[in-house]
Amino acid sequence: MNILSQLIVSGIAVGMIYGVIAFSYQLTFATSKTLNFGQGEALMLGALVGLTTVNFLIGQALGTPLAYLLMLPVVFAFGLAQGALVEYLGVRPAVKANSEAGWIMATIALGIIFRNLAENIWGRDALRFPSPLPEASLNILGVRIQPMEIAIVVGALVIMLAVEVFNRRSIFGKAVVATANDRDAAGLMGIDTRRVITFSYALSSMTAAFAGVLIAPVTLTGATMGAVLGLKAFAVAIIGGLSSGMGVIVGGLILGITETLTGYYISTGYKDVPGLVLLLLVLSLKPSGLFGRATIKKV
Amino acid sequence: MRVSGMIAAVAASIAMAGVSIAGVAVAAEPIKIGLSGPFTGGSSSMGVSMRDGVKLAVTEINKSGGVLGRQLVLVERDDEAKNEVGVQIAQELINKEGVVATLGYINTGVALASQRFYQEAEIPVINNVATGTVISKQFLPPDNKSNYIFRTSANDAIQSVMIADEAVKRQGFKKPAILADSTNYGQLGRADLEKALAALNVKPVATEKFNIGDTDMTAQLLRAKEAGADVILTYAIGPELAQIANGMAKLGWKVPMIGSWTLSMASFIDTAGPNGDGALMPQTFIQLPDTPKRKAFIEAYQAAYKIDRMPSPVSAAQGYDSVFLLAAAITQAGSTDGRKIREALENLNTKVEGVVTIYDRPFSATDHEAITGNIPVFGLVKGGRVVAAHPEDIAGDKAVRVKPKN
Repeated sequence: MNILSQLIVSGIAVGMIYGVIAFSYQLTFATSKTLNFGQGEALMLGALVGLTTVNFLIGQALGTPLAYLLMLPVVFAFGLAQGALVEYLGVRPAVKANSEAGWIMATIALGIIFRNLAENIWGRDALRFPSPLPEASLNILGVRIQPMEIAIVVGALVIMLAVEVFNRRSIFGKAVVATANDRDAAGLMGIDTRRVITFSYALSSMTAAFAGVLIAPVTLTGATMGAVLGLKAFAVAIIGGLSSGMGVIVGGLILGITETLTGYYISTGYKDVPGLVLLLLVLSLKPSGLFGRATIKKV
Repeated sequence: MRVSGMIAAVAASIAMAGVSIAGVAVAAEPIKIGLSGPFTGGSSSMGVSMRDGVKLAVTEINKSGGVLGRQLVLVERDDEAKNEVGVQIAQELINKEGVVATLGYINTGVALASQRFYQEAEIPVINNVATGTVISKQFLPPDNKSNYIFRTSANDAIQSVMIADEAVKRQGFKKPAILADSTNYGQLGRADLEKALAALNVKPVATEKFNIGDTDMTAQLLRAKEAGADVILTYAIGPELAQIANGMAKLGWKVPMIGSWTLSMASFIDTAGPNGDGALMPQTFIQLPDTPKRKAFIEAYQAAYKIDRMPSPVSAAQGYDSVFLLAAAITQAGSTDGRKIREALENLNTKVEGVVTIYDRPFSATDHEAITGNIPVFGLVKGGRVVAAHPEDIAGDKAVRVKPKN
């Protein structure tokens, strides 16, 4: 029993990260039906910018927890700018030209450029990110958990909740929801849908950048840290459904927990297999995802 | 502006002419030696240390007059630990630069992909860090006329036997768990380890695998723990090894870690911090000034690169020694012809005193491995450094262990 709960707790921590990144995919898909395939790189850039900022602040004789908190606004601002840039350079021209797949190639290409840029600025080594919380693990009812893992789960939930509240309550957020529901109608109602899409990309990269600084203290920071995470989160977005904010959380948890359980009960060599099998199953049985609404495309 | 620019150009051309005249007058053309290794990326701490050790040796040799009265010149290239980049570099060094020999290779994959070009061009390669067992056996006679690939590092067959002996015979562990990454390095090493354990009639209680970049080792460690493992044997590289040590601390489970020499990587020691203390690994060289030669080497290294802890002492020492072996061979051959250098390496009649060992006929036509199982000792991670695990093993006249005569 103890082992099972330990595995589930570890799976939840991993799964929440997948969930946040999948959530950021979902943000842009809702408004523009396009995705940033360089989302893993947005996460990586956020983590590296965060690392530089944290190290600078620690150099100013601040404690690590305070430095970490002060770094967050910088990373948020950077994420917003990076997302807007991706939309401006990669997505807008393709959408304008009515190209069905142009944005796919463009966001992948931008992702590669960002990775090379990061390699040139920060080098190819994996760097250690100072942990704002104590690294000794807590023992809760026989389950060992690192404080930072709790912070990951809480932080992931908070950012998703904050974005949702923003979308539902603020006037700008309502424009986002309106665009997501019906872009043409929103445009006729006087909403500048193009700006809304740019904004949703900015918000999406901001969420990914935040995910980057959340996991960086328990992993290592480096130019390649986003590649695998971006891919797995994409699977989560498909499993959970690209139109459902709730779905990606559940999808993330399903994938995270299946991975650790398979690793333990079947074989660590097959850890990644069930996630992919699940992906295929969902695609063939319910292509809109477990929680997705099937949309009818009117022609 | 234009006038000053012209003056500068004239001055530069005069200076260059002066240099080339002086070059012709004083010494013959320098001897070009290739150097290939990852100077950026995950294995760069090993690559950079190896390069720095090589450069130190070249500077020393040049100061005392060079080889055959000619200066040594290094042509350094960063292979980024990528096979395809290594291949390009090999072709460039052979065809464009015309090197007489190449030193280097940290990564077994890069070595295997690149060295066939040297074999075809009949130019010797001395692998000074890569450990894959097959590296020196790719072009064995009689299938090939002669083998141009040499090595001055302890290969995986040697290391895995040492790890198994240390865990089972010396420390008396009976239930080892093997944790290896899914790369060629990890999986070939795992196979070697299983073979070495089988020779001692021990079967691992768990054999677990993980991918490069995996951030959570809970499943692997819990399996090992539940199987009752009393020691963890590793074959992986720095960052993931650190995840293992940190994962054990998280689970509140502590058994010793014994593994391949990569447990001495700075990325493991720094990332694992106190959790990495106590890890054991085979080392051909420990940063310990126990002979005058080693003391001089360590001090020269620290002075040249302005550091206290060498990032990878093993790589630096093996790199340093590889230059002296090559220099001795070129001197003996009296020529920079690849075939003659190879012949000289296989029949070295001068003893070469290196920092790892004293090389007395290190190679023969059939044996291209300078390091034998008796040479490496176990290093121990302690307070962010690698120290000798069993000081008695290297005490007194055991400080220098040499390859047995066969």
